[in-house]
Amino acid sequence: MTTIRAEWTKLRTVRATWWTVLAAVVLMAATAGQLAIYVANGNTNDDPSDDAGVVPLGSVLIDSLELVQYAVLALGLLMITSEFTTGTIRTTLQCTPSRGRVLLAKAAVAAAVTFVLGLLLGAVGALVASLVLGEWGAAPVAGTLRDVVALATYLALIGVLALGLGAVLRSAVLTLTVLLAVLMIVPLSLREPDITALHRIADAFPGEAGQHLLAGDGQPYPPAVGLLLLAGWAAVALLGGRAALRRRDA
Amino acid sequence: MITLRALTKRFGETTAVDELTVDIGPGRVTGFLGPNGAGKSTTMRLILGLDRPTGGQALIGGQPYRKLRRPLHEIGALLDARTLHPARSGRAHLSAMAASNGIPDRRVEEVLATVGLDDRAAAKPARALSLGMGQRLGIAGALLGDPPVLMFDEPVNGLDPDGVRWIRQLSRSLAAEGRTVLISSHLMSEMQQTADWLVVLGQGRLIADAPTAQVIAGSGLAVRVRSPRPTELAALADRLTAAGAVVESGGTGELTVTGSTVERVGELAYELGVPLHELASHEASLERAFMALTADHVEYPAGTGGASA
Repeated sequence: MTTIRAEWTKLRTVRATWWTVLAAVVLMAATAGQLAIYVANGNTNDDPSDDAGVVPLGSVLIDSLELVQYAVLALGLLMITSEFTTGTIRTTLQCTPSRGRVLLAKAAVAAAVTFVLGLLLGAVGALVASLVLGEWGAAPVAGTLRDVVALATYLALIGVLALGLGAVLRSAVLTLTVLLAVLMIVPLSLREPDITALHRIADAFPGEAGQHLLAGDGQPYPPAVGLLLLAGWAAVALLGGRAALRRRDA
Repeated sequence: MITLRALTKRFGETTAVDELTVDIGPGRVTGFLGPNGAGKSTTMRLILGLDRPTGGQALIGGQPYRKLRRPLHEIGALLDARTLHPARSGRAHLSAMAASNGIPDRRVEEVLATVGLDDRAAAKPARALSLGMGQRLGIAGALLGDPPVLMFDEPVNGLDPDGVRWIRQLSRSLAAEGRTVLISSHLMSEMQQTADWLVVLGQGRLIADAPTAQVIAGSGLAVRVRSPRPTELAALADRLTAAGAVVESGGTGELTVTGSTVERVGELAYELGVPLHELASHEASLERAFMALTADHVEYPAGTGGASA
């Protein structure tokens, strides 16, 4: 608990944290607004009451996330990579010699912060999308709420994934590059040739698992499996980070 | 009490710390001396568990650092001052350190007052602090947990004369309270005034572990030689060095010789026909004692005619 308090103190006392939060919110508002405009413009039906062309707000949120998630990821990975660039890792390990405790505390703070930020982003995105869509947007309370919570959970887990990866790679740029590859480029490339085995492998990647968690569809696996897969990725990244912190000189 | 047992650290081919066995005892200021690259900072990082030893162990109060739950209560350390986040204020830095070891926030204000950082300085982002203020902040961090062991790596770096005097008094009063105080430095003159005990390191190996006075006395007397003829003087220096003495050039036409005697130097000068304007014995300083001790251990000797500090 003391280590968690220390990590929270460190995170909130650097202005860059709040700039990142602000950037994520602005990005969410802009992206959700733009996607909502596309939906409204692309709609050829002129009678909302017959239901064709009406979009649930949640789907706009989920599509916006593809871009917005990188601002949130930055928060998770900067919690550790900035310690290496500034040398504060030495102070941190001097205060808490157990590498596992340090990383777990960071993970707890990263998950909590990105979860709350996810809720905020969901609310902002839903508000903007509903304003733009007007009667072309559908906002069933339970469905939208579920989408927002799923979105926040997804962000919390990839935030932890980014943190663990950052502990292994130490450099922010390198970590972000690897994340981009793991979340988007690799699974997309795997799907390029139409081979079933490659599709199955692509399904297991964290970005894909997240998509299934968010979309709530049953194919190829239910959202709960997507959640478990994501959690597994985050756990493996943390274990890797702990091993790296233990083995290497600080 | 810091206990080092056959502590060894190798980086690839180079051995930074070599089978170091020494006890740093309580109630006195121990000076940790050695030329650059002797392994002082590496030893300190090994004590703090930041580097993993290749062999042996470092214990604080009988425990390895990585086993300590609340280490700030056991040992306080100032490493290089650049372990601060440039955008975080000094107060927030200390506050996070305190939180990690369950130390109340009011203690942060206490140590800030102890090291003489006022509210304005404590609120500044670390990038706006001078090197001296950064050192004071680092010492504040070391004092947070009121630990029985303190370890400062080159604490007077970047301090003005007032700051240097302050560190000296602080170290002495901490030792007088019965704490273990270990201070590394390459400034021998500073150690002579501050340290009661010296641990001298050369190429990662222990060269001396004795009271300061004994280390100085052990080096014998120094002999000062002056001559208006530099060429002949250089020949004298070569002969003395060949005979096992340590010769230090003190400016044009001047030599300081340790590990020899006034008689021997005088006879040699006569033999070589060197006209002398001065031949006198001086009480050795720590500076010279240190040079005599580490003469064989300097990684990059500063040319012939003796190493310079």
